[in-house]
Amino acid sequence: MKVRFVLPAAFAVLAGLSTQVQAGPVMDQIKTDDSLVCLVNTNSPGFSVPDSQGVYQGFNTDFCRMAAAAILGDANKADIRGIGFSDSMKTIVAEGAHIASRSITRTGTRDANPGMRFVATTFYDGQGFMIPKKLGVASAADLNGATVCAEEGSTTLLNIADWFGDRGIEYRVENIADKSARLQAFFSGKCDVMASDRTALSSDRLLAENPGDYTILPEVISNEPLTILSRPDASLETAIYWAFQVMLNAEAMGITSENVDAIMADLENQPKGIVRLLSAESAAGEMAQQIGLPADWSYQVIKQVGNYAEVYERHLGTETTFGMDRSGTVNALSKDGGLLYPDPIR
Amino acid sequence: MRVLRSQFFWQAVVVGTLVWLGYVLASNIEANLAKSNIKLSFDFLSGQAGFDISESLLSVSSESSYASVILAGVINTVTLAICCIIGATVIGVLMGILRSSGHYLGERVAAFYIEITRNLPKLLILLALYLAMVTALPVVRESWSLFDVIHISNRAVYFPIIAQGAGLYWLFLMVALWPVALVLLGRVAARAQDKTGKRFPVFWPVTAGALLLIAAPALLGLAPYTLSWPELKGFDFAGGGRISVQFCVLVLALSIYHGGQVAELVRGAIQSVPVGQFEAAKASGLSFGQMTRLVILPQAIRAAVPSMGNQYLNITKNTSIGLAVGYSDLVSVMTTSINQTFRPIELMTVSMCVYLGICLIVSWLVNVYNARVMAVRA
Repeated sequence: MKVRFVLPAAFAVLAGLSTQVQAGPVMDQIKTDDSLVCLVNTNSPGFSVPDSQGVYQGFNTDFCRMAAAAILGDANKADIRGIGFSDSMKTIVAEGAHIASRSITRTGTRDANPGMRFVATTFYDGQGFMIPKKLGVASAADLNGATVCAEEGSTTLLNIADWFGDRGIEYRVENIADKSARLQAFFSGKCDVMASDRTALSSDRLLAENPGDYTILPEVISNEPLTILSRPDASLETAIYWAFQVMLNAEAMGITSENVDAIMADLENQPKGIVRLLSAESAAGEMAQQIGLPADWSYQVIKQVGNYAEVYERHLGTETTFGMDRSGTVNALSKDGGLLYPDPIR
Repeated sequence: MRVLRSQFFWQAVVVGTLVWLGYVLASNIEANLAKSNIKLSFDFLSGQAGFDISESLLSVSSESSYASVILAGVINTVTLAICCIIGATVIGVLMGILRSSGHYLGERVAAFYIEITRNLPKLLILLALYLAMVTALPVVRESWSLFDVIHISNRAVYFPIIAQGAGLYWLFLMVALWPVALVLLGRVAARAQDKTGKRFPVFWPVTAGALLLIAAPALLGLAPYTLSWPELKGFDFAGGGRISVQFCVLVLALSIYHGGQVAELVRGAIQSVPVGQFEAAKASGLSFGQMTRLVILPQAIRAAVPSMGNQYLNITKNTSIGLAVGYSDLVSVMTTSINQTFRPIELMTVSMCVYLGICLIVSWLVNVYNARVMAVRA
């Protein structure tokens, strides 16, 4: 149940603006507190949902754990907090959290805000439409006159306005902030169509009484690079960016949380790339010194969180209820035709 | 004299502190904004908003400016507030009278209602009602139809409206003149009563006259009223008028929620009327209805008006929960605008000023009314 309280948010922003903005203190603060405050979605199956103990689990949460493992050496030192979409960016700007891993789309105007930095894109999504099969609509171009449900305050509203406007298609919008109200409005036919990121749609579809009654239309109407957001701090941004590259490199080199110990024990006999990735005497160690990370940061990330493929398959892959096959999609590694391109660690 | 001087001293200290705090806040914000390269500017208000809103009395689209979309949000907030104020007053006064009626069943029913609504969060009432309505009402293609005139679905209530044209403007004019005529003729009648002791009827003749004038152009064939009928076309009804389900649910939820609080105010006000008034009214042979209408309520109103004003302000501000169920009020439009422009300080300043403005107007109206009912006592 998420309602945005305007006044507290206003004061949060005012409070944030009336404290000093310096270069680099965020990293120091994380180390002093021995805890990294990370914002996630409150209820987004597969990306972040509280488990039976009330601890958030999911694809997005694992990147909070990644940052904590790299910076503090312990993934469990991530202080993961759920927050609504539009409050998440305000909270970062108001210095109420260190990073956000919350399916936030990196856009030009958002990135231009000096109070926050988009660091690493963890997932490439695109906006689409979900529709009940019984309406018999095969393409979004047939939606003239339809009522569209979308999340209040999101880029979704602008993308559908652009998309329908460009094609001269009439539509009505129901911009509902409360998620359960929005889903109920769609499932009971108050809206004909639900617009959102396609991954969010496939996760929402599972909440229907009979998920098979709904289908996602083929049109992808926007680019949504879902990106980790951080407070402006050069060393924090570098640490998160490269911790993510470690996960991509580990996948490309076949290093997993399962076999990393065996590889570490036999490091001198490994290919040079793996040595550079893991050895404290090589590139990884040098980076640790420069950024101010524990010497074994890359090992800790792989050991405690895993490589990118492990995280994906654990929460979203074909073995999960989402069954989102990664192969052939933009979220595959570049060598498999995707957009995830591991930068060299050397 | 000394007392006065020390009073003045402390007042000056308080005012001075407030001014100083305000100055510190303003200069702090300004300095830090400058440091972060953010300039406060309201120029973005004339830029294209780029998003659509769910319903509006103005014709706005994604090509309208932020200013006009925000204005549409303000009008939606005001419309909702007015409907909720009327709803809460009607429910509250009825329940308040019932609560203090002395009728066993009536008192228990009213007490039950008041305790339930006062002790539940309004957002919960709103969401429960919304989910219930959306689930229980039929989808638009299977709408319940009342004689093919009114159609009810879980999307909206559809009804025929008078299409724009000379007929509609004539209707508006007559509807606007009707209360004016009532007031003017009422004064004449009051003066006549003072002179002759007899009062001639005002309400029915004026209303009949207004109705006749409204019907006249159509009957004479000068300016016929053309109706626009709702018709199911594709995904939705086209033509006619519509009131969205979320608007109905909001009016219902807020009226029910605040009705409980108004009812307690009314009960308190009724109890503040001296018992002798009830006894005298009964002794004069007045029925319960007559007693309430002619003797008790006119006196109770005086006690109720100030706290009712407070309730009305609360209702106005509480309309902001509308965004939870997709009603495009001021807060909803503002939230989307902030996420697009990332100008929270400017937009929150705008909406705080709007809410302050609306509430000051409500407050002023209540004070004017209060002054009137107080004058009656003198």
